[in-house]
Formats: sequence, structure tokens, C-alpha cells
Amino acid sequence: MKTVVIVEDDPDIQSLISTIFSMDPRFSVSGLAESAEEALELARRTGPEIIVLDDRLAGELTGVEAVPQLKAAAPDAKIILFTAHADLQARVVNQPAIDAFLLKTETGELLPLAQQLTNMLSLL
Amino acid sequence: MTSIEMAPQRGAVATGVSDGADGAGAAEAADYARAILNMLDDVGEEQERQDQSQRAILNILEDLDTQKSHLESTQKALINMLDDLEVERRKVDRTNLELREVNEAMRSFIATAAHDLRSPLASMVGFSSLLAKNWDTLSEEKRLKFVTTIDRQSHKLTWLVNDLLTLSSIEGGVLNTRPERIAVAGAISQCLAASGLDAAEITVSCPPDLVILADSVHLGRMIDNYLQNAFKYGEPPVRVEARRLGDMVEILVADHGPGVPPDFEAKLFGKFARADSPSTRQKKGTGLGLSIVRGLAEANGGTAQYQPNLPAGACFSVSLPAETGPLPSDSGSPPTRAALSSADPQSRPPDERPYR
Repeated sequence: MKTVVIVEDDPDIQSLISTIFSMDPRFSVSGLAESAEEALELARRTGPEIIVLDDRLAGELTGVEAVPQLKAAAPDAKIILFTAHADLQARVVNQPAIDAFLLKTETGELLPLAQQLTNMLSLL
Repeated sequence: MTSIEMAPQRGAVATGVSDGADGAGAAEAADYARAILNMLDDVGEEQERQDQSQRAILNILEDLDTQKSHLESTQKALINMLDDLEVERRKVDRTNLELREVNEAMRSFIATAAHDLRSPLASMVGFSSLLAKNWDTLSEEKRLKFVTTIDRQSHKLTWLVNDLLTLSSIEGGVLNTRPERIAVAGAISQCLAASGLDAAEITVSCPPDLVILADSVHLGRMIDNYLQNAFKYGEPPVRVEARRLGDMVEILVADHGPGVPPDFEAKLFGKFARADSPSTRQKKGTGLGLSIVRGLAEANGGTAQYQPNLPAGACFSVSLPAETGPLPSDSGSPPTRAALSSADPQSRPPDERPYR
């Protein structure tokens, strides 16, 4: 079972991401966070394989700012930056700790991407 | 000087006695006299030549002086031209900088608009896709939840699109403004009724005879925006007050929240202006409301302002042209909030759209 932490302050999008991962029984959502600060605590506690991270969050830190600390808290986690800000993609190139970038309107790609990052597709 | 050898050529003095010792002496004296006269002539000519040369040199010096003056004038003119060019260059630099800032503001506006449009769209696309692919396996409860979310987000998207269209109309100078005489007290009551806010937390103070000249839909949009902001970013109790100030009527909405951070006040009425703090980040909004209020106020011949509500809170106001004379008759039923969002001429009925 691959565990997922969702870091998102919009409850509708949070619910959407949870529902998408519930479609594949090999994934389990281990926690929801509205801020990067909550996400760090969750990442330390649950050691997830996937972190779906928005940039604009409820706390002081933005998602992108929190990436190095998240990676330190959960070194095995693959981080997917899932945002509505297309501009951020250019900045992600210089952030090796971010494993993938996905625009929020491309929700259909989220599950295949998570499967690919956790090497599930090769097992099929 | 060669005047001695040339002396015999002069005839005038040489015609005298030439024989005997006295005659020889007189001839010699005459020769000397001729020679001296010749020398004097030569000196006179030389003096003349020198005078001429001196005059020529003086003329040349005068010419040089004139030319120097011309050169100095030319130099001054060139320096002035260089100064003018420098001023022009600075103007061009300033314009370039302003254009770059406008470009950057436009780029930032488009990026933010795209982000804000994409957010509700993401929920709509995501949930409708889940419904389409998993209709049979989803429970009735889940389906209803998804559809409700799509509905809510589509309304959010509609508000945002309306705001963007309104702003575009304001900035493009094609906003349809239909000024009419409005009784301020009645307009405030209608806005409160349509706002969906808790009336118990709002106090209203407005002289019953205040009348303004404004577009009623625009007035509703401005008051509603201030009221919603007072509850979203501020704290109750909220005070709505209207008063006559010279030729204008000021309508203000004051709350008792944290107020606007001083360093953000200048940007308050700008597009997508939201003070970036954890508390405001959590509030949902387009960030276009106040820039629309300012545009609507100006389109109606007024202004929109902010000042702190001392000791705590924010106080937003709009000043609109006052009207005298009897109160206008009742303008009918209160507008709905959806109607208030349609300050954009494209959203109004076709017969109300401006001719273009």
C-alpha cells in the first residue's frame, strides 16, 4: 500500500484528490493538510510515498518554499506539485526535490503520474 | 636701405652749380639731401605699409573676435541641444520603464486571472470526469456531492468571469452608465436585504432626504462589495453611514476588524489586490472587487476611498454627486446579489447594452 499526503487548502480540490486516489486500492490517503506546516508534521509522522502539494496554502510557507523541508522529513516521498499556477513550472526545473509538476485542470493525469512515480505502471 | 645709390636718379635738387670746390661741395650736399629725402620717402612708404599691415591685422583680429563669438554662440546652442537631448533621453527612459511596468502588471494580471479561472475549473473538470467514468460504481450520495461541488464552483467561475468582464468594460471605457436620481436610504436598505448578511450586526445611519445621481446597479454593486468585505476581512459590528459633503454624498462602510496593513493601502484598489498574509490567503475572492468599485465610482462621477476606522478596523467609502429636489419614487423590489454582479454591460439585457 502506497501512502499519500494531500497538501491543499481548497476543500473541494482536497476532496477531489482523495477521490481520485480512492479509485486505485493500492493507494491510501494517510493525511490531509491545509498548510505546509501541517504537511511537515504529517510527512514526519507518516512517511508517505506520494505528496500532492499545492503552492498557495493556508500557512506562512508556500508549497514550493516548503519542498526542501518536506523532502528532509520524508526522503522517500515523491513530490507532485499540483497547482493552478502555470508559471511555476519554469521554477520547478531548478528544484530537483520536486518530482513532477501537474496543472490542476489536468486531474485525469494525477493517478497515472502517481502510479508511474511509484513504479506501479511497470508492474502492470 | 639702398637710397644712396638711387639718389642720383632724383632730378629736382641736382640741378645747381657743378664747377669749382664750392660747386662740388654743393653737389655732394644736394646728393645727400636727395638721398635723405629719398630715405624719408622710403620711411614714409614703409610706415604706410606698416600701418596697412597693422590695419589688416586689426581687421583680422576683429574678424577672429566675431568668429569666436559665433563659435561661442554655436557652442552654447550645441550645449543647449545636448541638454535638451538629455532631457528627451530621460523622458524616453522613463516611458520605457513605465511601459515595462505596464507589461509586467499585464503579465501578472493574466497569470493571476488564469490561476483564478483554473481553480474552479479544476474542480468542475475533475468531478465531472469522475462522474462520467465511474457513474455506475459511485454511490448516490457521492454523485450528489460531486454535482453540488460542480454547481458551487461554476457559480464561483461565473462571478469571476463577470468581474473580469466588468473590469474590462471599465478599463476599455465602454461601461454603460445610466444615471438616475436615487434615494440613498432606500438603496442601502435594498442592498442589506439582498446581501444575505446578518442585519443584527449592521447599523445604518442615513438622513432620509439624501438623493444622489448614479447608476442604481453600480451603486448596489459598490455597497454590496464594501459590505461583503467588511464581514470577510473585518469584524462586526459593521456601520453603514451616509452624509452630505458639499456637492457630494459620502456613503461609508466601517468594520472593527484588523484593518488594512499600512504598507498595503496604496495597492488596495488595484487589480487582484489582496494583502498576502495567511489570513487573507484563506479568504476566497477574486481580488477584483475594490478595483471594480473604484472604476464604477469614477464612471459615476465620484471617487472611492479607504481610511482606517480608528482605533481598529477598516472604513471604505464612496462619494457620488448629490442631487437636490424631491425624493424619487420607490425604485421597486430589491436587486438580487446575482443582479449586483452584473455591472458589466454585456450581462445586462440586450436593450440596455451600449451601442458600439
